[in-house]
Amino acid sequence: MTHPHNLCLTTLARSDACAIKTFGEGLLDHLDPVEVLSSRTGLVMLPMRDTAQGTGFHLGEVLVSEAHIRMGAHEGYGMRRGRDLEAAMAMALVDLALDAGRAVADCTAFVSEQAKMQQAQDHDTLCRIEATRVDMETF
Amino acid sequence: MAYVATRGGEQAIEQAERLFRAEMGEITPERVAEIKTALPYLIDRVMGEASLYDEDLAALALAQAGGDLYEAVLLLRAWRTTQPRLHVARPIEQVTLFTHRRISAAFKDIPGGQVLGPTLDYSHRIIATDVLEGARYVPAPVTPSATPAPAHQPSVAAWQAENDLVEMPGFDETAPEDIPDVTREPVLFPATRAHRLQSLARADTGATLALGYAAMRGYGQAHPTVNELRLCEAEIIVTHPKGTAFSAGRVKVSQAEVVSKKGDTLELGFAATLGWNEVKCISAATLDLNSKGAPKGSPTEEEFYLYHTEGVESSGFCIHFKLPHYVTFQSSLDAMRSAKKTGTTAEKTSPSKEPAQ
Repeated sequence: MTHPHNLCLTTLARSDACAIKTFGEGLLDHLDPVEVLSSRTGLVMLPMRDTAQGTGFHLGEVLVSEAHIRMGAHEGYGMRRGRDLEAAMAMALVDLALDAGRAVADCTAFVSEQAKMQQAQDHDTLCRIEATRVDMETF
Repeated sequence: MAYVATRGGEQAIEQAERLFRAEMGEITPERVAEIKTALPYLIDRVMGEASLYDEDLAALALAQAGGDLYEAVLLLRAWRTTQPRLHVARPIEQVTLFTHRRISAAFKDIPGGQVLGPTLDYSHRIIATDVLEGARYVPAPVTPSATPAPAHQPSVAAWQAENDLVEMPGFDETAPEDIPDVTREPVLFPATRAHRLQSLARADTGATLALGYAAMRGYGQAHPTVNELRLCEAEIIVTHPKGTAFSAGRVKVSQAEVVSKKGDTLELGFAATLGWNEVKCISAATLDLNSKGAPKGSPTEEEFYLYHTEGVESSGFCIHFKLPHYVTFQSSLDAMRSAKKTGTTAEKTSPSKEPAQ
């Protein structure tokens, strides 16, 4: 089963760096020569909505790594938090492979596996958080 | 009188820097990794004040500055200017935050309940001196609940609005790219709310606390009660070249709403910052709450607190006094001697000025 594009990208952006680099390298055998449009670090400004008056304001900037590649009419894009150009490039390779219909089953399996790990991680975190809920007793 | 050019300090300067760095020894990837793992709240503080989120860089800056926070923040702010801005993300909405801690001191039974999350609020502050004698301090593990907490919590203010306690804010339709940005334009007074909140988000924690505390002690118009305090993670929502919105990862964010008990309705103050830093958010929200009608020159006046909580500017101005002022000081001495001779003082003839003029 293929994933919606937004869920696929979100999962890849949060995936384990070593795992996606290894997987992305393996994808190169399935792809034609790739043109690199950009491979760089940069900043994403993160705005927030104030809850008192509803004003949008800038909270600060986040360091990200970005990769944008092309293979014929197909494009791949990766952006991940942090300073890891290889991981961003690996993300772009997966995106490109899915866009071009190459190694789709492998890519889908990788995304599914990473999504499952991330859900399990969130579940564990939330169970630990729930342990700190105050069960208030009023006298 | 003329300026006097001098030379001869190059070697002393070179050796002084070496002496500073020699104290700290070699900086290795392992040291940076250890700082990042062991001191997350310090990392958060530095990232918030630098207005740049990256734990690795913040840990490196701390290592390189030997733990001097102002130097570390300056390193990060300077490095930031070397990077292009690739995107402006979609604004974070409170109800989308992956929430680790969320409490209210104003209302016991808030929707979603009180979730303490990671905190030392109710702990005994006892230093583990055994560690200095060779023992290991191993924290007790959390006993997880069988069921998870909700990832997202409802807004306390929205619930209060439903009960006619506060007015729900209108929706700000400013496009993310058009939100005023203090890194691209000067702050003019009265400042836009966007400038005020951004400046507070990157403000120095200690300075914000000092001025916020002054307001809490009575040098302000309103005493704060914490309406809602959150430690959470926010998704960085960016756009793929094909138009798909996705999250490029999560960042830690803290936010505080404080409420004033004065008047017929409740008034809210707000602040947020990158990283988890509760003291700064509560202090900054207190300043926001107290801004309206604050007397000129008081700690809660917007111009006063925004200028005096900017850590890079204030620390920079402070340390510049260490640099040679031989000519200006000599000039002051000359003026003093001349005044003594003529029996007048400079103060008698100079017009009154504002303190910062």
